Amino acid sequence: MPLVTLEPGVGQAIRSSLAEAGVHGPVRIEIQFSGCCDPSLGLMVDKVRESDLVEEVDAVTFVISPETHELAGEVRISRVDEGGREGFVLTSSRPIGEWDGFSTCRIRM
Amino acid sequence: MEQYKLFIDGEFVDAADGKTFESIDPGTGLPFATVAQAGTADAEAAIAAARRAFDKGEWSGLDIAARIAILQDFADEISQRGVRMVTAECMDAGQTISYAKIIVMWASLMIRNLATYAATKFQFEEEILASGNPFSPGREFVRREPIGVCLGIVPWNFPTALAMWKIAPALITGNTIVVKPASNTPLTALILAEAAKAAGIPNGVLNVIPGPGGALGRTLCTHPDVDKIAFTGSTEVGREIMRMASDTVKKVTLELGGKSANIILDDADMDLAVEGACFGTFLHQGQICESGTRVLVPSKIYDGFVDRMKKRAEALRIGYQMDPTSHMGPVVSKEQLATVEHYVKLGKEEGAELITGGQRVEVPGREGGYYYAPTIFANVDNKMRIAQEEIFGPVVCVIKYDSDEEAVAIANDSIYGLAGGVFSTNIARAERLARGVRTGTMWINNYHVFAEYCPFGGYKQSGVGRELGRWGLEEYTQVKRIHVPYFSNRSANFSLLSDNKKIDSFNYNCPTNIVGGHGSLSSIYKLVVDLGCRRALILTDPGVRKAGLADLVKNSLVDFCVGIYDDIPQDPDLESVDGATAAARELKADCIVSVGGGSVIDAGKAVCVTLKNGGKANDYINRWHTLSEPQTPHIVVPTTAGTGSEVTTAAVITNKTAGRKLFIADPRIIPNAAILDPRFTMTLPKNMTVGSAMDALTHAVEASMSIMANQICDGQALHAIRLISENLPLVVADGNNEKARLNMQIAATMAGWSFTIAQVGLAHCMAHTVGTLHHVPHGAACGIVLPKVMRFNVDHAAAKLARVAQALGVDTSGMTERDAALAAADAVEALMEKVGHPMRLRDVGVPEADLGRCSLHAIADTNVIFNARPVNDPMEVYAIYQQAH
Repeated sequence: MPLVTLEPGVGQAIRSSLAEAGVHGPVRIEIQFSGCCDPSLGLMVDKVRESDLVEEVDAVTFVISPETHELAGEVRISRVDEGGREGFVLTSSRPIGEWDGFSTCRIRM
Repeated sequence: MEQYKLFIDGEFVDAADGKTFESIDPGTGLPFATVAQAGTADAEAAIAAARRAFDKGEWSGLDIAARIAILQDFADEISQRGVRMVTAECMDAGQTISYAKIIVMWASLMIRNLATYAATKFQFEEEILASGNPFSPGREFVRREPIGVCLGIVPWNFPTALAMWKIAPALITGNTIVVKPASNTPLTALILAEAAKAAGIPNGVLNVIPGPGGALGRTLCTHPDVDKIAFTGSTEVGREIMRMASDTVKKVTLELGGKSANIILDDADMDLAVEGACFGTFLHQGQICESGTRVLVPSKIYDGFVDRMKKRAEALRIGYQMDPTSHMGPVVSKEQLATVEHYVKLGKEEGAELITGGQRVEVPGREGGYYYAPTIFANVDNKMRIAQEEIFGPVVCVIKYDSDEEAVAIANDSIYGLAGGVFSTNIARAERLARGVRTGTMWINNYHVFAEYCPFGGYKQSGVGRELGRWGLEEYTQVKRIHVPYFSNRSANFSLLSDNKKIDSFNYNCPTNIVGGHGSLSSIYKLVVDLGCRRALILTDPGVRKAGLADLVKNSLVDFCVGIYDDIPQDPDLESVDGATAAARELKADCIVSVGGGSVIDAGKAVCVTLKNGGKANDYINRWHTLSEPQTPHIVVPTTAGTGSEVTTAAVITNKTAGRKLFIADPRIIPNAAILDPRFTMTLPKNMTVGSAMDALTHAVEASMSIMANQICDGQALHAIRLISENLPLVVADGNNEKARLNMQIAATMAGWSFTIAQVGLAHCMAHTVGTLHHVPHGAACGIVLPKVMRFNVDHAAAKLARVAQALGVDTSGMTERDAALAAADAVEALMEKVGHPMRLRDVGVPEADLGRCSLHAIADTNVIFNARPVNDPMEVYAIYQQAH
């Protein structure tokens, strides 16, 4: 089972975001947002840690901790840009919260 | 396992697609109930039911007493289900039973208390007694009406209480609501629905649809039939909801995340502070949005404090939530447990020092449960992610600081602003810090204290709007202003689109008790008593005091006079009003007696307002019709016969800083009584006698020409003109002619009444301008420009001016109306010449080169709108100034 699946155009969008910010490095998929709506997944530029699972998709290197992968399963990333709603949408094969896929996120640099 | 269904349109139903999900006991990790899972079709059905119910008006149309009676039954039905609700709350949310029973009891009390409050104190309808608009009087009131269909999205940490935070205000204020409880904790909202049904709340008013937010959120938050969204949850989801709501401009209240600071001061009771720091963080396993998860501790006591927190945290008993001896139960889900572990790992990577906890806890017999030890990180930098992001678990960051200012700065260094605490034995110091922290709630020497009458909500990214209390009720209403005019009259209401600006409706409100004639000063003793007063302060100016007039009044007041304040200058300014007000306050005056000309009387009006309402004069300046109750009683004894201020609604006060004359205009400042005793004007010098008379004449003539003029106004104005025409030459010839002096006083008062009804016009605008820019005495400026303005207006006020001519003694027989009107202007000039009034602006120091600037100022004066002839071109005003020059 792949770690990450990208919707068409997402790889290019991530590469562009990183290039615009002048940032290099793998993109971590991690738990970023908590609160009483359940946690959700987000993206951040980070380094590779020893125990990380690593996968390159569409010329973007993704890393994810084994714990997060075990919790969420395969992560699917899409991109929206409509009516003021702009950013990446992360869903997972095992949703980690009931609002899975509802919010958008940007890449934390 | 128990089975629960959706509650839509008053019925418990399966999901349209038959889907269900399991509710998990977080203390064991095992399912204990199945629940119908709403899909899009169910969400739409619930919204439609709520829409129908609202539009039918069976609930929103009930009067508040009837609605409250049903809601009291609802509260009783909740109480009857108390044990079942407490159990469901524990099993769903992992709340300890000792906590859940309080929360459920509160839910029942809350709706009872809020409903009673709404029925007895909430302003569903509110009169606006002073509208601020002097041109369109009438009844102004607002109604707070329900918004319509509300959507309440409830989180999993307090499923009963937070459902009730939405259901109670929505229903009390007449809305209908669709509640989407969290998928982790759907049960108690459905039990509330049972209670609502049993209480007789009409079908469709309350609907409950458990289901995943990710799938239902878009339908619910973008549906055109949803009018308001009330959401409690994470900032991330709240931000998205706000975006979605914007498409159809739904009202939103958002109660979002927090990272609150609990500030321990060095003078705190340390036993209390340690307990407060742990209670603020570890209650309900830290799954409370306002938890004090950043504990700020002074460097000098830091190590000892952390040590004591560690001991206290390690003494907390973690166990199954249904065990009444447990202090802490499980976190709500395995995903939340993983989140806590993720952040603890992150904290260690960031270099924070793990003091205690940082691991799961095994509870014997409950091995599948999601238990986590209370965890303390020390030496945390506020920039670390564990100090900036919401963890929503039993994890606290203890942060050092070195000064009160630094503590406040750290507390405010967050995207959130939900709550916080300060612990100190010095309440004043603690409150100073609490005021500096930018959050919606601050507790001093306490934490997690809620009450249904106290608001809750966030600053910054912690939310929008407030829940609970009157603030929470207001969020579920929309304000409708209703205006019912004095006049249902085309000319009064819609003259802006008409060529005929004349307004034939009028309001005659001249409540001053006038006592006139030789020796009428004696009446003041009784007037003070009639006004319910015993402590009158006399305001006057140095000249009047020197003439002995203020002492005459003092003697007539006998024991009722508490003092004489004689420092009112010509053209009184804010400072002089404040000085007089301070004296009145010091002397505990309950009545002001103004003895003097227009300046003293105007200052007295401003003192009465400031004395009544507190603060300084500047608080009340440049305000129109904003006073809603009687002011400090005011008796005036005019010593001039000109301004008519004894009966008018205006007071002119100078703001030296702004370099402008400003005003209060309000019917509430009309003096209560005026004493027209001619002895008080006998000593007035000739030039002031003439100047003030021309002011009065201009009031009367302009009021008569005004677009607001009416028969009552005309009656006052024309008789005032006649009295001035006949008596001014007499008092100029003999200042001691007491009968003529009294007639001049009466004329000034009647002219004052006339322009209180109908306002003044262009002559006053032009006189105000040269008075301000070139210090020309007001009466003199009025007299010089008045005949010119009368000629300018002649084709718009010919009939009025023809009668003015007659009042001025002109024999108009055989004249055309227009010629008679023009003769009125000639007669004014003749009168001026007869009494030695200056005739040209150049005679009173106005340079010709400045007439252009004067024109631009004059046309911007408010009174221009009442002039008989529309004044739209500054060149026309310039031409009049040239004629007057």
